[in-house]
Amino acid sequence: MADSDRTITIGNVLRADIRGFVVASRIPEPDVPTFGTFVRAAIQQERADLIGLVYNITLQDDPFLKNLAVTVIEDDPRYAEIIRDQQENRAVPVEIAVAAIGYRDEDNHYHYGLPPQPPMILHRITVCSKDEVRHITAAPDFMRALFDNRDVPADELIPTALQRAARLRPESSRGEFFLEAGRYLAHYLGRDPVRLERILRRLA
Amino acid sequence: MLHIERLKADIDTLSRLAVERQTQREDDVARALRWLAEAPDSTTLRERLAPVATGEHDWPGALPAVDVPLDARFTVRSDPPHGTVVIGVDGSQVYPDPHAAALYYLIQIGGLVFGYDGSRPRPYSCEALHFRDEELYDAQGYLISPERVGMERLVQEMAYLAELTAIEHRLAPAAPLLALTDGPLLWPYVERSRVDSQAVDAYLDALTEIQKTGGLPVGYVARPGGRALVELLWASRLAPEDIPGRLPENPLRQLPDAALMAHFLAPGERSAWFSRPSSTNRRHAGRGHEVWFCYVNVGAARMPVIARVEAPEWGAPNEDAITTLHAVLLHQSQVLNGYPYVLARAHEEALVTTADKAALDSEIQRHLFAQGILARPSEKAQQKAYLGKR
Repeated sequence: MADSDRTITIGNVLRADIRGFVVASRIPEPDVPTFGTFVRAAIQQERADLIGLVYNITLQDDPFLKNLAVTVIEDDPRYAEIIRDQQENRAVPVEIAVAAIGYRDEDNHYHYGLPPQPPMILHRITVCSKDEVRHITAAPDFMRALFDNRDVPADELIPTALQRAARLRPESSRGEFFLEAGRYLAHYLGRDPVRLERILRRLA
Repeated sequence: MLHIERLKADIDTLSRLAVERQTQREDDVARALRWLAEAPDSTTLRERLAPVATGEHDWPGALPAVDVPLDARFTVRSDPPHGTVVIGVDGSQVYPDPHAAALYYLIQIGGLVFGYDGSRPRPYSCEALHFRDEELYDAQGYLISPERVGMERLVQEMAYLAELTAIEHRLAPAAPLLALTDGPLLWPYVERSRVDSQAVDAYLDALTEIQKTGGLPVGYVARPGGRALVELLWASRLAPEDIPGRLPENPLRQLPDAALMAHFLAPGERSAWFSRPSSTNRRHAGRGHEVWFCYVNVGAARMPVIARVEAPEWGAPNEDAITTLHAVLLHQSQVLNGYPYVLARAHEEALVTTADKAALDSEIQRHLFAQGILARPSEKAQQKAYLGKR
């Protein structure tokens, strides 16, 4: 998803605070963002964009599927089209939780840490383009807001985000990217070697 | 707040009446089934009902459309033929709200193209925001009525169905093409004005387009009301000289056709075709689209689900097409316990949810604010919104 350069609007902000927000969405399964996807949402009357990382996806109850579940048989060719419709087309009701990592101001400068304002309710959120991901991850400070966010599985999210960002860089510069991130993590988590090791192992 | 405890006596009475009605209905059904079995042949009935067949008497009954016994029942044994394409279309709307921050109405049409060839069904949708004065107000300056919005939605649904049919016909010219709409095929509104007549014409134009591209338009009416067949059965009991004089005396006028069909049709069966001699159907006939209807039981044993299926006179007698339609409806309905999958999905594509509407209102308000206009819902609307959340 985030590796694609197309930007996809994935839903509306349902509730928000300064550390993140939750999006309600009904989108086809292939478009549901994955864990660690970089997304953005307009803030400050669309003068800036909050940048965040998807850290939880909750599939909501779907009465339509309950009906189908008792009649449709997976390997029966009589239901082939219906199964494809459900799997490839149908809007899945999901709640997507996003942790804020920074924001982009109206002059297109990126800032790390918590944004000045959460996105307003019902604003749309969009998957970041490759270019936007490269910019926000240009410095390892993008991880800073995650360390102290107790709602977020940061030890899983940080390695996933780093790997995702590394894949968008030329192979020759990926080593340096990881090295710089490792130095930053060591500096930040120097007093918590167990946690540091856990994150670094997931990066390996 | 609703004080349900104060309604207890009414609820008791309602339940008692329902039991009485149920008992009465069982008697009525038994009587109607006997009338159905004893009805004269179709030709005799049509001759007998000639005085009301012109549509001038506003008789709510049906006429036999084909030369088969009234109690004929049809079944299909096979699945839909490979390659059959079914297009389902449905619509939804947001009515104009004078208490909202901005005055508009919205129509959204959704569709699903379902090919019986293992391919991925294709969802479609389109939407239109109507906000100009000429769209919102009629010639007398009154705000557009919900009925008028309903007419527009119906026209747009049929036009969209025609558009999708044309696309599918280009992709697979030889494929059987069924164009399903949720609701009656017969125009359901009364023509009162020139604007209404224009809407009917546009609707009939769309039916013509579907016909030209080889599609069969079909109206699917779930849980149908109406007693056209029961009225025909009453007419079948009358002597020729009592028609039309005694037609209004039908003792079974509380019995809807669907209740009769639930006892008459076994799961999977459909009835014979009938037509209505109404002025609206004559209007359709004038453009070559007289509408016929039949009933089909898409339910299961001990759980009948009766639907009324409407098709144009130029397609309904086509045995191959109707056998395919019959097989498709059974397959589609079996998946969702009595309602065609393709229509359920079309509805889902068309639906404007409360959250969608709230997002649209918010977007409009933000754009107005950016233009320096502070638009807010009325105080009444805001209070209702707060209370509605309790």
